Amino acid sequence: MKTNKKRTKYLSLIALTLFMFVAVFVSSMVGVTSFSFSDIVTMMAEKLGISESTTASNMQNTIFWNLRLPRIVLCLLVGAALSVCGATYQSIFRNPLTDPYILGISSGASLGAAISILIGMDSQLFGIGAIALATALLTVLLIYKIASIGNRMHTSTLLLTGVCFTFLITAVISFLMVLNQDKMERIIFWTMGSFAAASWTDVLVTAPCVVIGICVVIYYSKDLNLLLVGSETAKSLGVNVERTKKHLLFFTTLMVAFAVSCCGVIGFVGLIVPHCIRLVVGADNRLIIPYSIFVGGIFLLMCDTLSRTVLQPSELPVGSITALVGAPMFIYLLWKSKKQL
Amino acid sequence: MIKAKNLSYSYGKHTILNSMSFDIAAGDFCAIMGQNGCGKTTLLKCIANILPTPANSIYINGKDSKSYSVRKLAQQVAFVPQHTPIDFEFSAFETVLMGRNPYQKHLQNESQEDWDIVESCMKKTNTWHLRFASLAEMSGGEMQRVLLARALAQQTPIMLLDEPLSNLDISHQFEIIKLLRDISINENKTILLIIHDLNIAMRYCKSLLLLHNHNIVYRGDITKGLTTQNIKDYFGVDACIETINNQSQIIYN
Repeated sequence: MKTNKKRTKYLSLIALTLFMFVAVFVSSMVGVTSFSFSDIVTMMAEKLGISESTTASNMQNTIFWNLRLPRIVLCLLVGAALSVCGATYQSIFRNPLTDPYILGISSGASLGAAISILIGMDSQLFGIGAIALATALLTVLLIYKIASIGNRMHTSTLLLTGVCFTFLITAVISFLMVLNQDKMERIIFWTMGSFAAASWTDVLVTAPCVVIGICVVIYYSKDLNLLLVGSETAKSLGVNVERTKKHLLFFTTLMVAFAVSCCGVIGFVGLIVPHCIRLVVGADNRLIIPYSIFVGGIFLLMCDTLSRTVLQPSELPVGSITALVGAPMFIYLLWKSKKQL
Repeated sequence: MIKAKNLSYSYGKHTILNSMSFDIAAGDFCAIMGQNGCGKTTLLKCIANILPTPANSIYINGKDSKSYSVRKLAQQVAFVPQHTPIDFEFSAFETVLMGRNPYQKHLQNESQEDWDIVESCMKKTNTWHLRFASLAEMSGGEMQRVLLARALAQQTPIMLLDEPLSNLDISHQFEIIKLLRDISINENKTILLIIHDLNIAMRYCKSLLLLHNHNIVYRGDITKGLTTQNIKDYFGVDACIETINNQSQIIYN
């Protein structure tokens, strides 16, 4: 039973990695400028210095290396980050209906991004991310304080607080936009969520935060299981509940803030992905977290690929695709939890 | 084993525990009794260090409970709360395996030893056949036995149980209390439990910690503690004690 489980875990992770590479290839092939499989192989070979520069034009090279590839890498990073954060929040708040978007944390980060554009901080490398992190942390803190009654976390209060914060912040952002009409377009980008402007700089800024954040969550994944059974029980089973929650909330917020600061608010990824994984592998976070990294990345990459290809050459916001899948899922979950009560 | 010295606790201005001092000897099987709201659960949570108590008010094995790390304390004291949420589905086996957490490092997987301990604890509590079932689909009695198995898997000298018999029918109440008594005798564990049924407590428990209005009003042998006078004063019920089949029985008037 034990070794079997371990072997299945590693085999499925290898399968997911392979699938991820397939998704990356497919996604880099399709688009306004489409490449054939051999084009991509040739371009990679050239970059690695295996073969001489031949067929591909400069233009094609630029599109592939500087537009498409960073966008794909960023999708994988953000998808992984949002799913892992979703899985973490679902355990910390003991509620299957939470994710960074529904809790209002993504909106909190987008407020910071908007502010940093207005005060001209967006030219700095970590400028947007830093201010987004500050406002996102503030949002987490407020939601946590409002929704916790004594030692307990009240489910409906938590969701309502998140929804209220999202409304409030959206209102503030619209207000800021009207006051600064010249920067309106850039701010709208953050509220809709899009990978259209992805660059290697974004990857460079986001990657370290996501990698560190995911490592911290993996480190605490066993404690997340115990938190699911209630904080009092977790404490009596040897979990330093306060410290664990503090660390997890900080590092997940870090991931959300930097994800939002490069591609805006993308909803429902953190809700659907961990939930689907849970349906297959059960409640153990030591399985859910590693699977979330891959499945989340692949899912968001597929959504983004769809968003830029279905109505070619115009682009849909990627958030609309995730919402198209996610919102019905959310309603289904609500329906199911209502039945349980 | 457990010693409380001037233990006080309050929620805001509302005092719950008023300067309590008592001793629990090793191997004791002690019933904590009293009316609703007198502070029983708060007392258990203070001993388990789940609620923040001031330093030097609770001693476990002669050492201030504050001087233990959360992990070390979990190797000394196991706590089973009255309500366990079951909204996420862990199997009974996974639930009991959580009891081994105080002995594992982060990222460390369970060893063969952990698996063996879980198996023997589940067999002791007659839950091994339920190992693949989820807690959500269990009856109250089955769930209580699984939670007991988890507390046993912690291999602690002390076990604290918050109303382990609540929501159980009478035959399951007897099953659980007998199991607890056997554990306390066979494994020489110190067990504190909150219990409401006076007759069951008198028949199976060794000693009594009686609370009334946030104070300790009796601490000692249970048969001497449950007198008609005490029952009238501290539970508000008129009763007489008769001996039927060589058993003392409390009969309510």
